[in-house]
Amino acid sequence: MHPSILRHAAPTCTSQAPEVAWQGGYCSQTVTQVLHREPAPTAPAEPRQRRSRPPYLRTIGLYAITLWAVITLVFFLPRLLPGDPLRQLEDADSGQFIYDTAERERVAAYYGLDKPLISQYRTYLSDLRHGEFGWSISQNQPVAELLKKRLPWTLLLTGGALALSSALSFFAGVTAGWHRGRFADRSLIVVLSTTRAIPEYALAAALLILFAVTYPVFPQAGGQRAFAEYASPLEAVGDILFHLALPLTALTIGLAANKFLIVRNTVISTLGEDYMVLARAKGLSRRLLKYRHSGRNALLPFVTALGIQAGFAVSGSPFVETIFNYPGLGSLVTRAVDARDYPLLQGCFISIAVAVLIANLAVELTYAKLDPRVRRR
Amino acid sequence: MTATVARHPGPPPTSPPRGIHVAGIIGGAIMGFYFVLLLFGSQLAPFRATELAGQSLASPSGTNRLGTNLIGQDILSQLILGARASLLVALLAGVGTVLLGGIVGILAGWFPGWPDAVMMRVTDLVLIVPKLPLLLLIGALTGGSVVGLSLVISLLFWPNAARILRSQVLSLRTRTHVRAATGFGAGTWHQLRRHILPDLTLLSIAEFIPAAGRAVSLQAGLAFLGIGDPTLPSWGSMIRDAVAFRAVFITDAWKWWFAPPVIALVGLTVGITLLGTAAERRLSPRLARHTR
Repeated sequence: MHPSILRHAAPTCTSQAPEVAWQGGYCSQTVTQVLHREPAPTAPAEPRQRRSRPPYLRTIGLYAITLWAVITLVFFLPRLLPGDPLRQLEDADSGQFIYDTAERERVAAYYGLDKPLISQYRTYLSDLRHGEFGWSISQNQPVAELLKKRLPWTLLLTGGALALSSALSFFAGVTAGWHRGRFADRSLIVVLSTTRAIPEYALAAALLILFAVTYPVFPQAGGQRAFAEYASPLEAVGDILFHLALPLTALTIGLAANKFLIVRNTVISTLGEDYMVLARAKGLSRRLLKYRHSGRNALLPFVTALGIQAGFAVSGSPFVETIFNYPGLGSLVTRAVDARDYPLLQGCFISIAVAVLIANLAVELTYAKLDPRVRRR
Repeated sequence: MTATVARHPGPPPTSPPRGIHVAGIIGGAIMGFYFVLLLFGSQLAPFRATELAGQSLASPSGTNRLGTNLIGQDILSQLILGARASLLVALLAGVGTVLLGGIVGILAGWFPGWPDAVMMRVTDLVLIVPKLPLLLLIGALTGGSVVGLSLVISLLFWPNAARILRSQVLSLRTRTHVRAATGFGAGTWHQLRRHILPDLTLLSIAEFIPAAGRAVSLQAGLAFLGIGDPTLPSWGSMIRDAVAFRAVFITDAWKWWFAPPVIALVGLTVGITLLGTAAERRLSPRLARHTR
């Protein structure tokens, strides 16, 4: 077959460089956007969405259904897999030895395991609604407490990394695209493509070796000084930032490459457009041309990538946080996996899922604001 | 600056670049090396992966060319044998992803109306599910054997392939030869087999490569977090062991314990990316213009 017919296929996804990092194979478009933009060739019965409802209702609905599906999956998954939560209590060495059927039934009734699955599910949902995530087996604490304590650290780390990597990759991307083919462009591409192939944990460990062990500039672990008592809030902020530096750098580098390439490619694709020639002919300054006319076009795919990354930053942080023993959600996940602490794992999973979904939803809603073409639909 | 502008516009090249690109050659060579490790790993490795092959934390020497880890296992052997976990998951998950995506995409593209609508809604749903945490949870619950992990990865990551293959089917359906075949009364099965599937082969390969690359980093990441087949050595778990022994960074041990698996992983990822770039170049000339 002649490959040129492939050009008729939706190029939105294939036209991005193949992505191999944790950001894995995502196209630069948000979910519903791609759907709307897929070419609807003259296929006779291609169903179109009715226009009566505002488009964002559909998006919000999709996200609500996903959230429900995720929460339900968390409940049913362990129950569908083989295994019995009371089996280990049949072992005489366990703390709560079950010696006969009556005792077993009593324990099962205590934990609500004798009820039908559907009523267990209902209890689970109503517990979740009240912020009840269960009891962590390994930490012997309510899961909700642990989450509450660790969420701010993760938000600080991932939020900081997202903001920093966005600023860096946007400016680097616009500059590289503007001077495409020059030395700066080529070297940026080589450096960033290589760092993208390095797993985050390896990057983090390399930074740890370099700047905390060989040249001990930064602390090796933790989110702040142990047993710290600060004289002033300024000192507290300083200490926290000091501990944040290395993990933040590791995560930022991991997140920057993807967005850089997207911005660069979009900027290049605008360079030959008529409006660029016109703007140049009008005598606009180079800065205006670069950012207002060319860079602004890159904003759309950029914001989309940002939304997808927000999810991956939150879930990618286990690696970085583990290396630096950072007190966030990520290292809690690692610990929960190690201890096979399912209630804790589920709590982490649900809170991460909610964060990811909120970030993606926010991006999809912003997208309509940014792109008049989407708004019109 | 005018020169750049003047050079840029112009009709897109009408035919994709012929021949094999440099990226493809390098990528192919790298992948060939890894496949040798996969196929002949057990002959090449001087020791078995779990065998105690020397002193604890021995530095590289004649018997242990890359030294040993904390419990005295040979690092080089683990490194060679670790290729198996990465490559098997890459192959299986890559095939699984494209297969699942292909089934959904082709059916959705071929049957418009409610089957298409239902399948595309499901695709949207799976696309926005937070995947890494779910993978962690399922992996922790099921243990994470090679086959199980590949299955879960395929089940979570098929929507991209489904999307692209669906739009290709939609476009193919309007081509003259397919319409002519429909006119002659060709059945669905015949149409799919003779006219649709052959035209999807190249696109499927283009989808397979990034899917395989993603599977490599997912497998290594999960192994790093402690989810994986404990009997199978893998680069992710080597990194995990090295990092768990925190003194590895203070001594020189990281040079032969921590660095080699990282380099192996990066090499594999780069190899797959290069192959993917070469494939993209063949498939989509529009992009080749941009990334040149």
